[in-house]
Amino acid sequence: MKIQSLKFENLQFGFEGQDPLFEQVDFSFPMNDIVWVKASSGAGRSSLLQLLAGLLNPLKGNYLINDQNVAEMSFEEFLPYRLAIGYGFDFGGVIHNRTLLENVSLPLAYHKICSPEEAQERAEHYFEILGASKVKDKRPSLVPGGMRKLTCLIRALIMEPQVLLLDDPSVGIGQETSLKYFDCIQELRKAGKAQHVFVSSFDEQLMNCLPHREIFLDCGQIYLDVIDGDKKVVSL
Amino acid sequence: MIWASIDRLGRTITDNFDYTLKVFLMVYLSVRATLRDQAQGLRTIFSVISAQIYFTGFQALPLISVLALASGGIVILQSSTNLNLFGGAQMIGNLLVVIIVRELGPLMTALVVIARSGTAVASEVGNMRANREIEALESMGINPLSYIVFPRLVGGVISVVCLAFYYIVIALIGGFFLTKLIQDLPLSFYLDSLANAVAFEDLWLFLLKNTFSGMIIFVVSCHQGLSVKRSPTEVPIATTQAVVNSIIYVVVFNMAVTSLFYLSQLIKLGVL
Repeated sequence: MKIQSLKFENLQFGFEGQDPLFEQVDFSFPMNDIVWVKASSGAGRSSLLQLLAGLLNPLKGNYLINDQNVAEMSFEEFLPYRLAIGYGFDFGGVIHNRTLLENVSLPLAYHKICSPEEAQERAEHYFEILGASKVKDKRPSLVPGGMRKLTCLIRALIMEPQVLLLDDPSVGIGQETSLKYFDCIQELRKAGKAQHVFVSSFDEQLMNCLPHREIFLDCGQIYLDVIDGDKKVVSL
Repeated sequence: MIWASIDRLGRTITDNFDYTLKVFLMVYLSVRATLRDQAQGLRTIFSVISAQIYFTGFQALPLISVLALASGGIVILQSSTNLNLFGGAQMIGNLLVVIIVRELGPLMTALVVIARSGTAVASEVGNMRANREIEALESMGINPLSYIVFPRLVGGVISVVCLAFYYIVIALIGGFFLTKLIQDLPLSFYLDSLANAVAFEDLWLFLLKNTFSGMIIFVVSCHQGLSVKRSPTEVPIATTQAVVNSIIYVVVFNMAVTSLFYLSQLIKLGVL
């Protein structure tokens, strides 16, 4: 299932008892690029990525993938899209009763994308590149937070998704590992995978190393690239 | 003042009704998700089911044994002493079937399972929610209802049925030998009396009560665990609520089944 478009249509979203994060947003997300999601803290960057991953549902309006409304799909109907979307958590998200290696190879093994040996090999390859081979057989509670974060990031890549959503990927893993991780993404992009990458980050140094476009979140709206004078833009 | 009380009562009733519907809906959704999940193999399901049976069933055996021996011994001792006083010693089997097989067995087992495993499941699932593990499973295309809820539900039901059977056997047989230390009660007389008292309906009653009790305990615990939003501080609240709700539902269910059973017996006898 090829993902060609991601759109918000009159979308509204917010958490219970809080001001809405998005209000009547109509937005067509730029595709085939690395997109840097910029906003001030608390403006809804993580929520935006979770909405795009289908992990949160809008309160009103529609989130359309290939012009199909995600809210109207059952878990099984959305599954082909879900498998084409990789999501890197900003914190948490590792399965605590599995080793880091099992965490990473779980989606491959569960959906029988490849044999268990091949899944393990693929996961080990990433652990080696990113310098985490030593801890790959440990449970999450026995490793530092950065390694848990790295595990989530590798897991987002392992399915070689079409859409990659990364929430603060560089926090906690160090500059060098972040750059290596983005090298892996570029390798995938060269191979025709991970074509649509959305990165929420405050790390300008990292983002400036990558060719990217920018979207801005402000006052419940999403703006693309350079904004005309009438629209407010957050300064970062 | 009165209207406000009536409003409050109405709200409580509708809230409870809503909660009950949600809990039963979760059973349906977890079964449906498992049947529709093409990827989840039987191996994955069975590994969780067997783990659940080990923790809920096997590890509860010592506690159930102690409770069954103690409660069985007390009931047999009291029944035989009092029945002898009134000259109805041959009725001991009937009394034990009514008290132990129909009532104490299902209820005591359910309470033990709530205390040991209901709390464990609610806090485990709640912590998974707080640590964003449930979200992670969803992001990997793994349905938490088929991966987390269904195997625990099935494992829990099997464990409760087996534990209740074990409780009844230990209470009736072990309790007898415990009583034998204090009072002389012939084994053949005791076994004959029990065999004459057990009816086919007792099997249905046993299966109905224990199957549903098991289902209630594990679905309520999973539901409470999944109701945790983000904060770890919600986990103990969810766990406590799981215990309270499970006890209420199990007791009310057992009471309702017993009432309906005796109502049907009275109708059969032509009293009603």
